[in-house]
Amino acid sequence: MKNGIKKAVASIVFMLGLVCLLVILSYIFLPKNNMKAFGMEDVTANGILGEKENSIDVLVLGDSESYSSITPMQIWEEQGFTTYVCGTPGQYLYQSDSYLQQAFINQKPKVVILETNAIYRKMSFNASILNRIENVFAVFKYHNRWKSMQLGDLTSSADYTWTDDFKGYQYYNTVDGTANSDYMAPTDKSKLIHGLNWQYVSDMADFCEKNGAQFILVSTPSTVNWNYERHNGIVQLANALDIPYVDMNLMKNEITIDWTKDTRDKGDHLNHSGAVKVSRWLGNYLKKAYNLPDHRQDDGYSKWNEALTRYKKGVGEA
Amino acid sequence: MERLIRILEDIQPGVDYSTCTNLIDGHILNSLAILSLVAELEDEFDVVIPTVEIIPDNFNSAQAMYALITRLEEEDGYGD
Amino acid sequence: MAIDSYYSIAYLAIFLPAVVIAYTVFPKKARWFVLLISSGIFFWSMSGKLLIWLIVSIFSIHYGGIYLSLLQKERDGKMARAKAQQGGPSKKEIRKLYQKKQLAVAAAVALFNVGILVFLKYTPFFGANMNRFLAWIKAPFSLNIPSFVVPIGISFYTLQAVAYVMDVYREKFPAERNIFRLALYMSFFPQLMEGPICRYPDTSGALWQGERIQFENLVSGMQRIAFGMMKKLVIADRLNLFIKNVFTNYNQYDGGITALAAVLYTCQLYMDFSGTMDIVLGTGEIFGVTLPENFRQPFFSKSISEFWQRWHITLGAWFKDYIFYPLSMTGPMKKLTSHGRKRLGNHYGPLTAGACGLFCVWLLNGLWHGAGWHYIFFGMYHFALILAGSLWEPAAAAICRLLHIRRTSVPWKGVQIARTAVLVCIGELFFRAHGLRAGLFMFFNIIWGFSLSSFGDGTVFNVGMDKKDFLIAFIGVLIVLVNSIMKEKGTRPRKWLADRPVVFRWALCYGLILFVVIFGAYGAGYVPLDPIYANF
Repeated sequence: MKNGIKKAVASIVFMLGLVCLLVILSYIFLPKNNMKAFGMEDVTANGILGEKENSIDVLVLGDSESYSSITPMQIWEEQGFTTYVCGTPGQYLYQSDSYLQQAFINQKPKVVILETNAIYRKMSFNASILNRIENVFAVFKYHNRWKSMQLGDLTSSADYTWTDDFKGYQYYNTVDGTANSDYMAPTDKSKLIHGLNWQYVSDMADFCEKNGAQFILVSTPSTVNWNYERHNGIVQLANALDIPYVDMNLMKNEITIDWTKDTRDKGDHLNHSGAVKVSRWLGNYLKKAYNLPDHRQDDGYSKWNEALTRYKKGVGEA
Repeated sequence: MERLIRILEDIQPGVDYSTCTNLIDGHILNSLAILSLVAELEDEFDVVIPTVEIIPDNFNSAQAMYALITRLEEEDGYGD
Repeated sequence: MAIDSYYSIAYLAIFLPAVVIAYTVFPKKARWFVLLISSGIFFWSMSGKLLIWLIVSIFSIHYGGIYLSLLQKERDGKMARAKAQQGGPSKKEIRKLYQKKQLAVAAAVALFNVGILVFLKYTPFFGANMNRFLAWIKAPFSLNIPSFVVPIGISFYTLQAVAYVMDVYREKFPAERNIFRLALYMSFFPQLMEGPICRYPDTSGALWQGERIQFENLVSGMQRIAFGMMKKLVIADRLNLFIKNVFTNYNQYDGGITALAAVLYTCQLYMDFSGTMDIVLGTGEIFGVTLPENFRQPFFSKSISEFWQRWHITLGAWFKDYIFYPLSMTGPMKKLTSHGRKRLGNHYGPLTAGACGLFCVWLLNGLWHGAGWHYIFFGMYHFALILAGSLWEPAAAAICRLLHIRRTSVPWKGVQIARTAVLVCIGELFFRAHGLRAGLFMFFNIIWGFSLSSFGDGTVFNVGMDKKDFLIAFIGVLIVLVNSIMKEKGTRPRKWLADRPVVFRWALCYGLILFVVIFGAYGAGYVPLDPIYANF
């Protein structure tokens, strides 16, 4: 018996030691700034790390649909509240979840939008668990930095200084239209949502509720990725979780997408002119529905006005 | 026993078969030598050595082989 | 839920711990059930409904075995009576009569199982070649070739099924009456995907026993698992970055790079397969089940035939016991051997019969790895090398005597080891190549297009691995080499480690784990790679 206790204690001490080592390594391997040169990945989405504390009103999560359709700077100019798009190419829901958790460390958004295309992206169970481990021990995520690490990584702590003038939006002005504008033919069928994906959306909704944020599902316009079957699937999900759902694909009068001009790749993604239309409507809608503040005259947000000038130059409006 | 040793020496000379006990495990007899050996033993002693008996334990020493042959002879003997 | 492989987090962080806990919690008598259900879940998560094929195999060997034992009993009864009553059929005659019947039953069950394997795995290959033949003779029709999803591990468990039936036929042990014991033997989850190919007495006892998990076994098993992960994640998967590029665009590289790729692939295959075996045997060790070793430091072999006694040992042993000896010991073959020995002497005499057996073994060995001509070529290559080695042996001995080379001297051994390694690398080049034609192209490219310029001007670091990648892979290989030398010298590394002071022991374990965490080729930028042998 005595021997057994000794073994048990030794095992626990060994595991604790391992956890300590992983924590130390995670600290060392964590990029020390949110820029590419420091080993940060998906820098535009992680630009939110450089934003001032408690300065973001609306957080957008999702795949390429999200950062192609929603341009925060236009919403800022027209409505005066702050939006940040944490969108990454082919984003999986477990990544959306990670961005959500990361954002709430320093920010307190009032509204969280999940672009629905990611809900239909099938996830590998293994990858979702690895992601959970990465969230705890950053060394699992950034271990491949070993090739480019410097002595400074050992001593300095993380200090995120970079912000994105486009606030996560990615600007494309190319036009490659499509004649297919009747992609939303009504049907009673609905596309099944995978159990693991359902669970993730449900967890994100719970997280938002606990943190006092309104969680919304939004489908941005896309002739390639969206149809009525998927619409029905998300309606069921939204009803079951009791969260609002906005499908822009069915709002032909409110958001007048011209599919011959407003897409950059035959209906897959919107281009800038499409994003302007979507953002105009969305800003207006959010402002009214959730009573969001107007910071445009607030001195604490002067950085946003400076970014707006640069943004306008970037998209050729100034 | 002498007949057995004679066959062994014929197949692979230069080994002291009366004392060696790791003919297989020591890689002294390879699989080709085993083929010859089985054929010769069957001829000489008029027994059939089934494949199942071809295991190192039965061929590691002359004694073991002799025991095997004796056992096989008994099993197939006529109404003893 | 998908477990994917033994390297996946789902297996290592969830499935295996869950089984260990369930195994510990359940009473001794129910532990076999925990293992069996876990194995079922494991199989199901990979192959789903194809589980039915495994169940069919289990039933076939179960009832086949019982039928064989009935025949054996009947025969023994008759033989006992023959002893009592003089004048009837002799014991030898009875034995012969039943031998035939039993062989027919055993062969039917074995062929049934092999038939399933051939049907599922080789139909497309045979069909495609048949169509090529039909086109060649200008036949006015061609076959529609169906292709099937192959259940996980079928190439491995089928051989276990055959081994069981043949062993019952050979009366190595009585037939198993408990079908669950057989099911566990066939499906034990660590060995399901890549072997080792076990014999029934190897594992069935320990699997059924349900002994308590010993702390020492748990620690030792986990150490072995960590070592296996190092081999696969740090070395094999990193080397793949280089290998994949060279083998895919094989006509774009010079002979030097191609030669390096062949060497690295041999290394990758060893690290991948033996690393998986470390995880498999480590898992077995945790449950107190000693699975047979599949590797014994193969790259210290002095000849090709020795190599095959040290590489994928259980496969070689299976072919020896169930193909080579039975074939070489059939009546006509035995006659050929005696006859040959009298005419050609001790060395060349048995070689004729032996060569026939060897030919079949290597043809099947090649085919077993996959349906493709390059696999057949791989088998024939090794057949030719082993045969040539045998033919050459007396001459080699004579030459060495003439030149006063001591064949046991260290430098001579070194030469032999190097020569064997080169021959193995050439074989693996064909094994990995995209088809036989690509393999031949690469082989001749090494000979005619050889140049060291890529190593001088740094091109070698642009193929997929940079200098740092090579350095890490090299350190990994060094660690494995030290481990292998220890084993070769007769030290058991983990036993040795257990006798070190605790600080040293823990430091080494932490070091190994963190080495894998940091330098493993996983995560962003790396596609998870299936273990190579899982596809055979």
